[in-house]
Amino acid sequence: MNKMLGIVNLEPANVHVEGVDDYRPASATSFLGRYRILDFMISNMTNSHIDDIEIYIKNRPRSTIEHILGTNYNVNSKKGKFSILYGENPVSNELYNTDIANFKANIEYIEQSSANYVVIAPSHFVYIQDFNEMLEYHEKMGGDITIMYQSVNNAKDAFAMCDILEFGEDKRVTGMSKNIGKYKNRDISLECYIMSRNLFIELIQKAQMTSSLFWLSDVVADSLNDLKVYGYQHKGYVSCINSLRAYYKANLELMDRLDDLVSDNWPIYTKTNDTQPTLYKQGANVTGSLIGNGCEIEGTVINSVIGRNVVIKAGAVIENAVIMPSTLINKNVKIKNAVIDRYAIITHIKELKGTEDEPIYVKRRDRI
Amino acid sequence: MKQKKMVAMILAGGRGTRLYDLTKKVAKPAVHFGGKYRIIDFPLSNCANSNISTVGVLVQYESVLLNSYIARDHIWGLDVEGGGVYCLPPREKDVTGLGLYQGTADAITQNLDFLDQEDAEYVLVLSGDHIYKMNYEKMLQHHIETNADATIAVLQVPMKEASRFGIMNTDENDKIIEFEEKPKEPKSDLASMGIYIFTYKTLRKYLKDDEKDPNSNHDFGKDIIPTYLKDGLNLQAYRFKGYWKDVGTIDSLWEANMDLISDNNTLDLSDPSWKIYTGDNNAIPQIIGPNAKINTAYITQGCVVDGEITKSVLFTGSKVEEGAKVTDTVVMNGARIGEGAVLNRCVVMDDVRVPARMKLGSKTSKNILLVTKALVSKKAEGKDHE
Repeated sequence: MNKMLGIVNLEPANVHVEGVDDYRPASATSFLGRYRILDFMISNMTNSHIDDIEIYIKNRPRSTIEHILGTNYNVNSKKGKFSILYGENPVSNELYNTDIANFKANIEYIEQSSANYVVIAPSHFVYIQDFNEMLEYHEKMGGDITIMYQSVNNAKDAFAMCDILEFGEDKRVTGMSKNIGKYKNRDISLECYIMSRNLFIELIQKAQMTSSLFWLSDVVADSLNDLKVYGYQHKGYVSCINSLRAYYKANLELMDRLDDLVSDNWPIYTKTNDTQPTLYKQGANVTGSLIGNGCEIEGTVINSVIGRNVVIKAGAVIENAVIMPSTLINKNVKIKNAVIDRYAIITHIKELKGTEDEPIYVKRRDRI
Repeated sequence: MKQKKMVAMILAGGRGTRLYDLTKKVAKPAVHFGGKYRIIDFPLSNCANSNISTVGVLVQYESVLLNSYIARDHIWGLDVEGGGVYCLPPREKDVTGLGLYQGTADAITQNLDFLDQEDAEYVLVLSGDHIYKMNYEKMLQHHIETNADATIAVLQVPMKEASRFGIMNTDENDKIIEFEEKPKEPKSDLASMGIYIFTYKTLRKYLKDDEKDPNSNHDFGKDIIPTYLKDGLNLQAYRFKGYWKDVGTIDSLWEANMDLISDNNTLDLSDPSWKIYTGDNNAIPQIIGPNAKINTAYITQGCVVDGEITKSVLFTGSKVEEGAKVTDTVVMNGARIGEGAVLNRCVVMDDVRVPARMKLGSKTSKNILLVTKALVSKKAEGKDHE
C-alpha cells in the first residue's frame, strides 16, 4: 500500500485574520464552538489513515503545541507520529519566512520518512476530503503533481490572493496566477498537493536555488513546463479563512452544515476538556445556534456560534455573532455581527454592533 | 520516601434490577447520567482527583461494556506508571469451579493477591453506583489521624428516613460504637454511604477468617463491620457534607438528573478543580434549531434540538424534532423524539425512537415512565388497531 506523509503547511502570506492572529496562528483559533481550525485538516489526514503527520508553525506556538499534545486524533500512539516543526533559523525579515525555508530547516525529517508520497495542505482551507481518493486520482493520471482545486463563483469577494489554476488539455495545469478579485468564476487552488516524497525534496532544493522568497506554490508554478501537474476537483463545501470576515462567515456558514459534513465515519477530532453540559436557565431564548458545552445561558442567542464555558446573563442579546470560549457577556449587553475573543468580559459597553461584512472584533482578555 | 499507598476497590457487580430495562444489557455503573457521563465516572474521577492511582473495579454482571469502558484508563488520567484501572472479575477456582462474588467482602477477599501485589497499605472500598464528589485523600488523613482500623463515610439523613439506611451509632468523638442495618427505631441519623477505608493488614486477617466461616454472608455491613466492633477495633465515622445520591431506581435516577437543573443544585459539575472526567465520543457541539424553545435544560454535545424543552436533561447525541414537547424528562444517548411528540415525566432509554406525535407519560404520574423500544413499538401497534 502506498503510504503518505501528511504535512500541514504554514498559512501563506495572504492569510491575515485581523486581531485574532495577534495571539496565535490563525490555524489554532477556536472554531465552531469546540474545535481549532487545524482540527479539520489533521482529522482529514488521520481519517485517510495517514499516521505520520508534520505540522508546521511559524510563531506563537503555545496554543498549537498545547492543543496537539492534548488531542487524540485517533492514531496509534506508538506507531503514529505527530511532529510540530518550525524554522530553526532566525529570519532577518518575515518575507524570508516561507514554507520552503521551514521545510528546508526540517528536511531531515522529510528525508527520514518511509512514505513514498506526501500530501501537503494548509489548514486555513476548511473542507472534508479523503486523501486516498485524491491519491488514486493522482496515480490514475500518472502526473508528477496533483493540486486540489475548487470551481467557485464567488472569486470576486472571497479567496483573495489565492492561486487561480488555468487548465490546458486533459486537466493539465498550464498556468497559475493570483486571484485579485477580477472575475466571479474561477478554479481556485486549495494549495493542497500530492506528489512523491522524492519530488517534494527536489522542489524544496530547486526553490531555494531559484529564490529565497519562493513559497511551495511559486516553485510549482515555476515548474509547470517541466512537470505534469493535474488538478483534482473538490466538490464539497470549502471555506477559505484568510481574514476576520472570512473567519466570521465560515463559523456562521458551517454551523448549518456541520451535522452533514461530520459523521461517525468522518469525525473531527479535538482536545477534550471534560466540560460539563450547557445549562439553559429560565428565561434563556436560544434559536438557530451552535453551542459548546459548559455554557450558562440566561439571555437570548440568535444565529450565533457560542464556544465552551461562555456565560450569557439575563437580558443579553447575541445575534449573528461568534463568541469564543470562556467569555462573559453580562446583563443587558447587546451584541450583533461580532467576533468576541477568548476570556473577554463585556459589561459596561451595552451595545456592540458590526455589519455582516465588517464584524466587530473584541480582543482576547479584553474587559469593556 | 515511598508513600504509603491506598488502593481503591470499586464494587461494580450489582445487577441493578430496580432499573429494569436500563440494566438489561449494561451493568448499573455503566448507565449514562447527567448528559454526558456514566455513573462510574464519579467514583473514578473522585479517585483521580484524590491522587489515587490504582483502582480495581470488581465486575461480574453484564460487564462487557463496563470492562471495555474502564479499560480506557486514560479517560480519568489514570494511565500512569505504577497505577491504572484494573478490571477484576470473579476468579475461576480449581476447587470451587466457576466463581461468583458472594458478597461485598468476598469480592475483596477474592482479590487479596491483587492488593498484596499492589503493596496496599490502605484499601478504599467504594460503590460504583453513587453520584457524589468526595476527596478521599482527606478521608484517609482522618483515618490516619484517628489511628482507625476502619473509617466509614457517613451522611446525615432526615431522622424519618434513617430506617432506610445502614445507621452508625457513635460516641461524642464520632467513634462508631454500634452499626444497625435499616433499624426500625434508629438511634442516630448518620447513614453509611458504603465508602470504607481499611488499614489493609488488619482487613486482610479478618477477610481470611471470614472466608472460612460457613455462616457468613461475606458482606461488609452484615459481617465484617460487626466483627470489627465485637473485637473492639477502632472504627471511625467520617462525616461527609454535600451532594450524594444512590441512583438505584428509575425515580431516583430521574431525580438525580433533575437535580442538575434545579436552582438549589449542590452537585457542581462546573468546578474546574474537581472535574468529572468521561469518555469523549467526538460529537459535534449542540445544534439548536430555528424553532427551538428551551426553558431550563441541561444539554450536551451531539444534541440537535428543534422542539420545545422544559425542565429536561438531554444526553449525548439525542435529537428532539420540531414541534415536539419534552417536559420533566431525561432523554438518554442517541434517542430521538419525533415531530410533535409530547413527553412528560419520562426517562427515554438510549437509542429509542419516539415516533411523531406519540404521547408518553403524564404530568401527574406518581412514578417516572421508562420509555423503552418495546414500549414505543407496543404503543405504536396499539394505535393501528384503534
